[in-house]
Amino acid sequence: MADEPNVPMEEMGGQVAEVNLPASANPNSPYAWPKERRLLSTRVNRIDGPLKVSGRAKYSYDVRRPGLLYGRILRSPHPHARIVSIDLAPALKMPGVKAAINIAKPGGKVMYVGDEVAAVAAVTEDQARDAARAIKVEYEVLPFLASVEQAMRPEAPVVFEGGNVKASQTEEEGNLQAGFAAAAHVVEQTYATQVQTHVSLETHGCVCEWEGDKLTAWVSTQAVHGTREGFATSLGIPQANVRVITEHMGGGFGSKFGPDVQGIACARLAKEAKAPVQLMLDRREEHLAAGNRPSAVAKIKAGVSADGMLTAFDAESWGTGGAGASSGFPLPYIYTFPNRRRVHKDVYINAGQQRAMRAPGHPQGCFITEMLMDELADRVKMDPIEFRIRNLPPQAPNAMWREYFKVGAAKFGWDKRHPTGDPTPGPIKRGMGCAANRWGGGGRGTQAQCEILPDGGVVVRCGTQDLGVGTRTLIAVIAAETLGLQVKDIKVEIGDSNYPFSGGSGGSTTAPAVSPAIRVTVTKALQELGTRVLGVPADQVAASGGRVHVKGNPSKGLAWAEACRKLQTTPVSVNAGWEPGLSASGSSGVQFAEVSVDIETGVTKVERILCVQDCGLIVNQLTAESQCIGGMIMGVGYALYEDRILDRNTAMQVNPNMEWYLVPGMSDIPKIDIMLMNQPERGVIGIGEPPTISTAAAISNAVANAIGVRVRSIPLTPQKVLTALEGERAGGTL
Amino acid sequence: MADHPAPASRLVTPEAHCAHLRHKGMYVLSTPDPGELKHAGNWDATAYWCTQTQKAMGPDGSPANAACCVSGNGRGCCH
Repeated sequence: MADEPNVPMEEMGGQVAEVNLPASANPNSPYAWPKERRLLSTRVNRIDGPLKVSGRAKYSYDVRRPGLLYGRILRSPHPHARIVSIDLAPALKMPGVKAAINIAKPGGKVMYVGDEVAAVAAVTEDQARDAARAIKVEYEVLPFLASVEQAMRPEAPVVFEGGNVKASQTEEEGNLQAGFAAAAHVVEQTYATQVQTHVSLETHGCVCEWEGDKLTAWVSTQAVHGTREGFATSLGIPQANVRVITEHMGGGFGSKFGPDVQGIACARLAKEAKAPVQLMLDRREEHLAAGNRPSAVAKIKAGVSADGMLTAFDAESWGTGGAGASSGFPLPYIYTFPNRRRVHKDVYINAGQQRAMRAPGHPQGCFITEMLMDELADRVKMDPIEFRIRNLPPQAPNAMWREYFKVGAAKFGWDKRHPTGDPTPGPIKRGMGCAANRWGGGGRGTQAQCEILPDGGVVVRCGTQDLGVGTRTLIAVIAAETLGLQVKDIKVEIGDSNYPFSGGSGGSTTAPAVSPAIRVTVTKALQELGTRVLGVPADQVAASGGRVHVKGNPSKGLAWAEACRKLQTTPVSVNAGWEPGLSASGSSGVQFAEVSVDIETGVTKVERILCVQDCGLIVNQLTAESQCIGGMIMGVGYALYEDRILDRNTAMQVNPNMEWYLVPGMSDIPKIDIMLMNQPERGVIGIGEPPTISTAAAISNAVANAIGVRVRSIPLTPQKVLTALEGERAGGTL
Repeated sequence: MADHPAPASRLVTPEAHCAHLRHKGMYVLSTPDPGELKHAGNWDATAYWCTQTQKAMGPDGSPANAACCVSGNGRGCCH
């Protein structure tokens, strides 16, 4: 292929490899990233780290306004019901209660347990809880669907207008019949994934305060400008009258893109009570009503030729995004089946609705396809990596899986992997697995402001937000690199809709949207400083080593402080924004996992994971690695623990807490190795999504390799492992 | 010359859809990746919401999404 790159790969320092990819950044941009990087691509500690570890960082939960009231929401105890009446009067008579509002309307319906009905605000949180319980609601209970199986039965009551099952389009390519005719082996299996909730450490919520007709909201959100728009649209007020502030926030993973139900309720309560109100969800509410990753099931028939080439893929898939929401996912994932068909159905049930969750659809498609790939490799008795490499799509500039599988396998010690089923004696079996990922990402549109002050201070403002991933530090690193200063010399102000516009943080777009905006804006500010104090043209201004000077001649210039003093009373103040040529989209990666499984208890322990991930120009290696670590820990939870379990008779979640909805604890986290592929010639690419995609698939394949039995649904609970082992003894699952 | 942030969404347009329909992509300014688009197929995991309810269901109790919330479909809650 003409666009296939030549990829010499050289490992540097055991962690960072330089990959010679076709450049997607523009080296001729006037703002091009420096070839010699002083701070970029190094390991820089988070500038807000001390604030966070000392508890001084202010999250929405920590905002205490004078006269603050506390809001609580009354939620439906029924999975499906018509609201006959709502009586707020008993709540309004309760001690400390200052306001009560309807969220649902009489005549309307609630669609799941936890659906919002009404809300109150009171002087204390306990008073608000008591008052919410005092609201009298009369329900007409309606038939409901507590599971996908119930919803798909022909005799199921039609709960959703248009039907409980929404058939989507068929995807078809090639000639399926010919594909199966060419197959030497055929695998027919069903694979399944569970519903996973976001479990953001900081729950959803906000503090709202009115001053006349102007609203200020401190919100835990992934989009301060988007949330401003959401408040204004929902409340019917001008956007100019809304200010949204997110100084720090504790994760969102795709679930926090607007004011949400509780945000609007909070604003209405504050208006009615004429006092600021805080309304943060508790952990139960978070599980019930704040979003989730849809489940996925795929019944697949797939063929492989005797020489290990995929020939055919025929799948029927379905899943649930809860009440009225979709459940799509890519299938097959990455690998090339020349003849394929896939039919998908969205199944609606009476449960909380899905929201975007870290790489929407990809972990499901990856798990299902990568499990199938190992089964097919076993049929042709081929090493799983060799089999994958043989069936990867034609290589494109951002599809580096072949090379990553090879370099990762060498580092991981893949040559020590035994065939399926650990032959060693004893109850503890070990195994290895692998899986690949891809993501688009890319970002644009961010605006920024840079002030250079006469006292030498530098302030960079941007209306982006830091979800906890290190965006503040990323901005400081870029500004310091550009100005020839240290990271500590830069004051970063973000998380406020009064700052220049930036899009929401989602889909791995923050770094590629924000980084160019900061580079362009700060460069322009430097150029203005240079022209004013050195009297040289803008394109001749440079900065290095704490000096502003003529490009190529550091001795012809001024020390930073001296240069700034010459500004006298008028600072440099520049507004600018994202420009093309400094960032790109498209990332690929692979992961390897090694597990040990106790075949007497069924308990799986992930021993180690290796992540090989490309990410364009690494801005801050430390926070880029943190993204990978966080993504993989989330993947461990998806593989082994997390599961929203609904009671099949009541549709109530039985584990809406962090005691029975399990997330990985410290002792569950394996040894993690990361190989980040630095690709400066591509510009900045986000990696929020990709590292979480393939972890569960790699772990699941490692479990099969360990115990010689395939568990085809996650989470891989001890019960499922033991059941699969029992099935193997009874006749085999492979 | 800066590339300004438009259009906001490939799935929801002011001409065809209800003014209250939202999804995450309307708040995230991304550059579509050709490789990803080619790979993607036509599966859909988009989570929509209605600004009137802030939920995946509109005020009439029916799902809020790009197929249902279109102008002229007779849905009383559409704007």
